[in-house]
Amino acid sequence: MYARKGYELVKDLASGEKGQLQPFNEDLFNQVVDQCTQHYLELQALIRKMQEESVDVRETRNADHYGALIHHLSLIRNKRCLMAYVHNRAEIIQNFAWKVGLELLELPEEIQEKLSSSEKNYFGKHSAALQSYMAEVGIDLNVDMVPPKDPYIKVRVLDDMGEGILLSDKTANLARHSMHFLKRTDAEQYIARGLMEELTG
Amino acid sequence: MSNYYDIDDILTEEEFVPVVYQKAINGVKIDESTEKGYVEQGSKTELPFWLARELHMRQAVSISVPACFNQKTRLEIQADAACVDLRSRCQYFYEFGCKLAPLCDKTIGLLLSYAFRIRYKEVLHKAHSTAFAAASKFLTLLTKEETYLYEAAQSSMAAFKKWRTGGPRLQRASILGRKRKPAE
Repeated sequence: MYARKGYELVKDLASGEKGQLQPFNEDLFNQVVDQCTQHYLELQALIRKMQEESVDVRETRNADHYGALIHHLSLIRNKRCLMAYVHNRAEIIQNFAWKVGLELLELPEEIQEKLSSSEKNYFGKHSAALQSYMAEVGIDLNVDMVPPKDPYIKVRVLDDMGEGILLSDKTANLARHSMHFLKRTDAEQYIARGLMEELTG
Repeated sequence: MSNYYDIDDILTEEEFVPVVYQKAINGVKIDESTEKGYVEQGSKTELPFWLARELHMRQAVSISVPACFNQKTRLEIQADAACVDLRSRCQYFYEFGCKLAPLCDKTIGLLLSYAFRIRYKEVLHKAHSTAFAAASKFLTLLTKEETYLYEAAQSSMAAFKKWRTGGPRLQRASILGRKRKPAE
């Protein structure tokens, strides 16, 4: 069936949970591109046939015209599927920069594995643009996503994070299960990555 | 015009509609069961909506009403709309119906608004009153759109409760997916 591969690709994207990343389906992606090439070749063959029969390609509405039309529409459809696939993933990747961290290495490994190399590149460039903008206006835009009540919060460390981690006002020894009273802006990124949890009392 | 990149819109347009060819078409193999590379005038088949709509606009095919809007479904909806299994008929019942109505049968619009009015009430009611275990059976009847509504109703209730009782306001980014048990 026509442009079916594009549909499969979008279906693959939709099968995941909303707003979360699946591994980049390189194989299926390439199959869609191949199918586009196939449609293009058949489209060209039909146009050539019309030219050989010396009928007016623009005006004639014969069987060849409709055949070419179907291939043309299938191409456009596959293009839309490819664009939607890349676009929707790019949106999620941008969100990583805002919500998790600006460095690729700060992202959890299982997330890094899901990105294709051009997506990693995109993430890096998006982060760099964000960083240079934040340096220009002089505000950290990706902290305080939830309006703060207090500049300090109490947290518990959930994972071994190593010793001597440099925070903005001190160096802390963040061993697993230890509790700390930290600056909210320091803690925020670790909570977002699931390394700490906020304690309320 | 809906969003070009919208996943649900793309999937909606993949739904099949029965068509009759008004023109002969060369160089295509619509039906994979046959070997011939052309379509004769007057032959029947099913095409995905995105293709059928464009061909319909150029008078190359005529569209008839697909099975999910047939007489049987209409009667069931009239009987008790809330209990009809719309998901198995068409995941995108409403969206598909909206796209289809101007092309083949204007009465689909009335059917959709009638079905939605009744089912919407039921979805909201169930979202707030049913325990999760009991709801799973009901959820299998819902279309995509109704499932979103159901989830929205539940999450807004959860957010309200959280706001009232207080609790941690910073949380692990939902974008990272569900938390896995740490390997001890």
